[in-house]
Parts: sequence; C-alpha cells; structure tokens
Amino acid sequence: MITSPDGIESAGGVVGRVLRASTTRFTVGCQQPMAAAGSTLPAFGALVRAENADGSVTYGLVSNITVEDDPFVRQLVAAGVENEEYIADQRQRRQVPVVVDVLVVGWGNGPEIHHRLPPHPPGTLDRIYPCGPAEAVRFTGRHDWLRFVLAAADLPADALAVAALRGAAQARPPDQRQGYLISAGRELARLLAHDLTRLDGILQQIRNL
Amino acid sequence: MALELNKLTDQVEAMGRALAQRQQEAEARIAEARRRLRDHGRVTAELLDRIAVARARDAWRRGATPLAGRLDLRLMPVHPPRPATLIAADGSQVYPDRHGLAPYFLVNTGAIILRQGSGEAPSVSSTPEIFFDTSDLYDEAGQMRDVEYVNAQRDRREIETLADLAEQERLRSDPQRPIITVTDGPLRPWTSQTDEREARRQIQHFGHQLRRLRAARAVPVGYVDRPDSGYVLRILELIGLPDEQITRAGLREGPFRYLTDRALFADLLPGQRTALFALEEEGANPAEDAGDGEDRIVFCYLNVAREAGEDRANIVRLELPAWAGQDEEALDCVHQAIYEDCRLIGYPYVLARAHELAVVGAAERADLERMVGQFMLRHGLLPHLSTKADSKRMI
Repeated sequence: MITSPDGIESAGGVVGRVLRASTTRFTVGCQQPMAAAGSTLPAFGALVRAENADGSVTYGLVSNITVEDDPFVRQLVAAGVENEEYIADQRQRRQVPVVVDVLVVGWGNGPEIHHRLPPHPPGTLDRIYPCGPAEAVRFTGRHDWLRFVLAAADLPADALAVAALRGAAQARPPDQRQGYLISAGRELARLLAHDLTRLDGILQQIRNL
Repeated sequence: MALELNKLTDQVEAMGRALAQRQQEAEARIAEARRRLRDHGRVTAELLDRIAVARARDAWRRGATPLAGRLDLRLMPVHPPRPATLIAADGSQVYPDRHGLAPYFLVNTGAIILRQGSGEAPSVSSTPEIFFDTSDLYDEAGQMRDVEYVNAQRDRREIETLADLAEQERLRSDPQRPIITVTDGPLRPWTSQTDEREARRQIQHFGHQLRRLRAARAVPVGYVDRPDSGYVLRILELIGLPDEQITRAGLREGPFRYLTDRALFADLLPGQRTALFALEEEGANPAEDAGDGEDRIVFCYLNVAREAGEDRANIVRLELPAWAGQDEEALDCVHQAIYEDCRLIGYPYVLARAHELAVVGAAERADLERMVGQFMLRHGLLPHLSTKADSKRMI
C-alpha cells in the first residue's frame, strides 16, 4: 500500500499521467513493462483516481487499455524477431507505451464523495493512482455511479459494469460481498427496468462472480 | 511562426542542385579511389614509410596505419560462431542551467547485458547521479562547468559501468564465454581541447578502465554508425605521391578530401569486414604512459546490412584495442556478435536499448525540476527561475 499526501492509500504506485481529459472521460499514458513483477497497470474496470491541482480527486473506471506500438517494436516485427532474448526484453524489461481510457464516474473533495460529474477535468500530466480497497469501498458505498456506466453507449458498458462490481465486491470482506452484489443487482433492476434483456445479461454475469 | 519557409525556397532549391552535383563528382572520385585500392592493395615498406613521413609532417593528420599485408581485404569470419554476452552502456545528461531553479547537472547511465542464445531476458539498469558540489559545478577559475566537462563525466561513467558489469558478468558466466562491451561512437572518449591536464586525466582514466576490461577478458568495442572518417582514403592519397609533395598543405588538398571510407567500402558484401588499421590520431594510444602499445586503438569497417547492393550497404566502423584485434578468434567473435545484434534494426539492439534506458526526456526533466523545487522549499529556500527562463516558458 502507498499512502498519498492526503492520507488515501493506493493499491500501487502511479498508473500514469493524464494525456487528455474532459469532464466525462480521460486518457492516461503509462510507461511500464507489460510483464514485470509489481506492474501497476490497472485492470479493465478498476477504479482509479486523478489528483487535481486544487486538491480535489476525480474518480473513474478503466474502460479500455491499449498497448501502443512504437517505431522500435514495429521495426522488430518487420524484421521478423525470433530470438527469445529480444522478445523477453521487450515484454519484461522494456517500457512500452500503454494508453488507458478512463470513464469518469464521480469526484471527491476531502471526505466528500460525489457520484456526479466533476466541475473540471483533470489537468494534463496529472498523476493517476489505482484506488485501494478502503477507497473503493468508500466510493462504491452507494450505487449512483452505475448510471454513468450504463449510459456510456460507445463503451462495452455492461462488461464494464460487471468488472467494476467485481472489483467493488472484492474490496470488501468476504462475508459482505454477496450482500453488496445483491444490493447492486437491485439498483441495476431499477435502472434497467425498461430493458429486461440487458438487465438479465448483466445479472447472469454478476451471479457468476 | 519564427521561420518563414517561403523565404527559403530559392536557397533550398540551390542546395538540392549543389548536392546532386557534389554527389556526381564524388562518385567519380570514389571510382578513382577504388581503382587505387585494387591496383595498389599491397602494403609495401615504401607505403608504410610514406605514412610515417606524412604523420611527421602533419601531426594533426587524422590517419591510420595498415596492420594487414593488404589494404583491400574483404573478410568473413572463419571461426565458427559462438554465442557472446553483449554489454552496452550509454549516458545522457542534463547540463547546468544558470537560469534554472538551482545549479546542478545530472548524468544518467543506462546499461544492458544481453546473453546471446540464452533465451533469458537481458539485465537492464539505469543509474542517475546528480552533481551539486561546488567542486563539481565550478572550475578552478570559478566558472560554471561547460558542456565539455559534463560530457566527460558522462563518458567516464559509461566506461566505468562497462568495466563494472564485465567484471560481474565474468564471475557469473562460463569462463570461456566471450564478453563484448559496446559503446556508441569512437572507443576513445572525446577529450578536452582546452585543458591539457584534464585531457591527460581523461585518457589515463580510460586506459585504466580498458585494463580492467582486459583483465575480465571482455573485448571493448566502439561502434561508429555512419562514420565520416577517411582514414583509408588518406592512405590511398599517399600512393604515387612524390616525397616533396608530402607537405602539410599538400596533404590537406588531397584528391579524396571530403569523401569517406564509408563510400569507399560501400561495395563490401553484407557481413564482410575490411582489414584492420591502427588509428594514428592524437591520443589514440591511451596507455602511452605505461608504454603498452597493445592498448592502441585499431579499427575495421563492417557492412552490417542484410541485403547486397551498394545502395543498401550499411558501413560502420568498429574500434577495439590492439590486443583484441591481434586475436583472430576474438575479432571474428566481435564481428559475428555485432552483426547478429544489428540484424533487427540495422544498429546494435543493445546500444538502442542502452540509449533508451539513459535518455532523460522533457517530462522527466520537468519532474526533476519540480522535485528540486520541492526540496528547496523544504529547506526554506524559495525556488525561482530567472526572468529569462520564465519568459521562455510562455513561448
């Protein structure tokens, strides 16, 4: 665990820095080995936070991860790289550019957490941290953030909701996980009352968590 | 926009015309140089004598002495290939900035150990070092250190890193496994042109590191990409030159000036190397003080291209100490290992990676400045940029 200056613990080091941002989405550039031990690359659906210059925090869910190529990798592929040492170097040692897209689902200021869009987007080059279990539990205590996920028409929203709920459940003690998922399922039933097919698809996946 | 490109159109057009004309003229002169190489390839006592005379009459001449019996050898390795361990180091620096938050400079040394044929991921490292002591920042006259001094510190750390890693690697590896260290550029570091004492110190330091490498049975190689040297052309210019014309002025007006050995040897087949030559430059014998000529730097040219054809040739210069060049098997091993490591990108993979590990990008530099500012504040100092630096940030 790493504790940030405001006392909030993170699950690891810096994920990366903001490349571009709006109040609804932001994109993070990461430079780290893909297969290194201790990698801080967050998983799809993970809750992350951007620390803003004014002390506020923007919360978001990892909605997409892209491993970018670069001229080096492209040259290796074009030249038909076969030697294991070079491949192992690229995978385990080399910092390949990874781009992480984040869907904004809320913001916070000190002890307050709001499940609504922040007044300002994170700034360019702001650091992004993964949220630790306590912070994830605090953020997902209510289910209003699910609205943003379900409304993201251009994203694999249902898969994102399931992945995020899985993360939120795992952040809780084992004896509270089922209760949390049942409560979240009820909220989903309310939000998707007009689309039972979609609701059923999500609930099926939650049941298997 | 500060640069008005439309005002350069005519000049760029003239430049293109001049380049084409120069190229045509260079091709004719290269053809003549190749004729000489073919017709007078044998290294005679008379030629060696002329090289010595030329060197005596123009001490600043950047020449070379042939070490083989012929100038025009084209060689492929004759010894069976052996997997080698390649160690590369490269340094990057942040120069002192008198307009910055604080006076300091930084050297970051990236290094990689790649064990060919092992299937293992290479070992990589980067070692940043910040210099802030008064003695590091100012010379004896109280002037802030210049770029040359910082570069010398960077070069020292590169060769020291290579010697450290080679010693460690020798202890952990098969005693028979070849170890080759690779640096980007000439093997001998650039030495101070203004401070003779400092230049001597640099050469002595370099000689000491070379001896450490030799003791670890590692072969140090300087890899010069796209070399602009004309060492062999300087030899060809002496062929048939009457003794009275071997003058400082005459030598500087030689028929092959502005041409490169790279163009001369562009007809090497892929994977072929030339004969070995010994550098005759000032300071090319780093162990002069110890009277050990075996540390003299020798070189050959190698075509690292995979495909045949002059237009695809990729001629590089490999520099190594004479003691390694004298060992035919070690030389073949260097030849094979470097050629193999260039297979993917036409440049040693290990050097590309060492550079990548060393380079300090603009974002990292900004982070470092921020960190310096934070620690200054912590110690009660108010960090601020000069007004000039501040105004530049707005542009």
